[in-house]
Amino acid sequence: MSAAERTAAEIAAAVRDGSSTARGETEAALARIAAANPAINAFTDVLADRALRTAAAVDAARAAGRNPGSLAGVPFAVKNLFDISGLPTRAGSRINRERAPAGRDGALVRRMEAAGAVLVGALNMGEYAYDFTGENCHDGPSRNPLDLSRMTGGSSGGSGAAVAAGTVPITLGSDTNGSIRVPASLCGTFGLKPTYGRLSRAGSFPFVSSFDHLGPLARCTADLALAYDAMQGQDPDDPMQMVRSPEPVSAGLEAGIAGLRIAVADGYFARGGTPEAFAAVRRVAETLGAVQAVEFPEAARARAAAYVITAAEGAALHAERLRQRPEDFDPEVRDRLIAGLAIPAAWVARAQRFRRWYRDRVQEVFGTVDVVLAPAAPVRAPLLGQRTLELDGLTVPLRPNLGVFTQPISFVGLPVVAFPVWPDAGLPIGVQVIAAPWREDLALRVARYLEKSGVTNRA
Amino acid sequence: MSDTDPNSLALALDAATALSGVAMRPEWREVALVNLATIAAAAQFVAAFPLDDEAEYAPVFQP
Repeated sequence: MSAAERTAAEIAAAVRDGSSTARGETEAALARIAAANPAINAFTDVLADRALRTAAAVDAARAAGRNPGSLAGVPFAVKNLFDISGLPTRAGSRINRERAPAGRDGALVRRMEAAGAVLVGALNMGEYAYDFTGENCHDGPSRNPLDLSRMTGGSSGGSGAAVAAGTVPITLGSDTNGSIRVPASLCGTFGLKPTYGRLSRAGSFPFVSSFDHLGPLARCTADLALAYDAMQGQDPDDPMQMVRSPEPVSAGLEAGIAGLRIAVADGYFARGGTPEAFAAVRRVAETLGAVQAVEFPEAARARAAAYVITAAEGAALHAERLRQRPEDFDPEVRDRLIAGLAIPAAWVARAQRFRRWYRDRVQEVFGTVDVVLAPAAPVRAPLLGQRTLELDGLTVPLRPNLGVFTQPISFVGLPVVAFPVWPDAGLPIGVQVIAAPWREDLALRVARYLEKSGVTNRA
Repeated sequence: MSDTDPNSLALALDAATALSGVAMRPEWREVALVNLATIAAAAQFVAAFPLDDEAEYAPVFQP
């Protein structure tokens, strides 16, 4: 097994038992980044000095007989909307890079490093996270390591590419409407969008407060669980975080699927995608023995409501920058934000009221099943620069439609694991395992079972 | 005039950008109008779903 294929769990075990060092793992990651990044453009900042200092502290802790942590010596990187001490938090924008450097790391960066992980860099993203492609006019597009002519998906495009290329085993991203799950699908990685309000968002640049989530991407379920467990915990700095004690998932990851009621999402989630998107879900369902179908009622309207709220809250957040520096935005983002300025309050209030209605119906669905399967993206990775998709015989705009299957789920904050299925020797496509609120453990258990069954293996 | 009438959307966009102090170029306006029409269609789709007046939304604010 090459160093690039080792999991975070394996690296941490090696560092803890002394067969490797945090410094060695960090130097190896920095070398992999130097080799891969010119092609994939995933990293916007490489933090070699900081990373080597952090690694030295991890090695010193072990040498002194202290526990170096569950992620000892594991290199990781974060979407560049996470605060990193000493860097302006650019959030994929040109404007933000003139901000004062962050005074301290974001909450989740601190938690990862408290568990022994080593931050090695910041990652490319779509401007201000208003993106499903991974393209960025300021920094250039992140490129899909599986085919450099293709999109990574976004907005956490660098987060998907960095993991898929094997530079680091874990990255952190954000997901407002699908920005972890779409890159996971297009790049062939695993991604976890936890329940809304589970993980602290403090020290990250926001987009849509109603829907913003942070979470990990990795090459396997166990690494998602390790990172997720390290990041749980109450944080008074995030006013939207729910009061909830940590509920670690790693220990129960191998519990299997016995007794779980697993269904496939029908209706809205069974149309509007390419045949391979639905074939992937069928293959997963067969592996799980899932024959039941359920419907999230009015999912199309849920997506529409998410669309309205996103445009309105995004425009409100950026109104002053639109007034002062409209020329400095990515045009793909600016013109949508400008449109959002004209949204009447009544439209937003209506969408938020519908959101509560839809949440109640979704909760009813989870009274009858434990886990629901759905596609993560309608297509495999499109070409960079592509503007349209062919779906169900219609030509539709690519940018909004890459998130067609993710948006109605994050709209009500459900926990989801996205994982890859490889239909043939070509590109992968993702499937979502969706669970009831606060049941990340179930989504991860099912994903782990599928991983062991081989259904997530590359063809 | 309906919400998605092109003239009312153009009036709304121009008023909103003037109110927000955004100096919009004509080429941006054209694209923004297309985007606003998409948003308006989504909003109308949501509004067409019947909800009781008592169906409040669920903000989280802890004083």
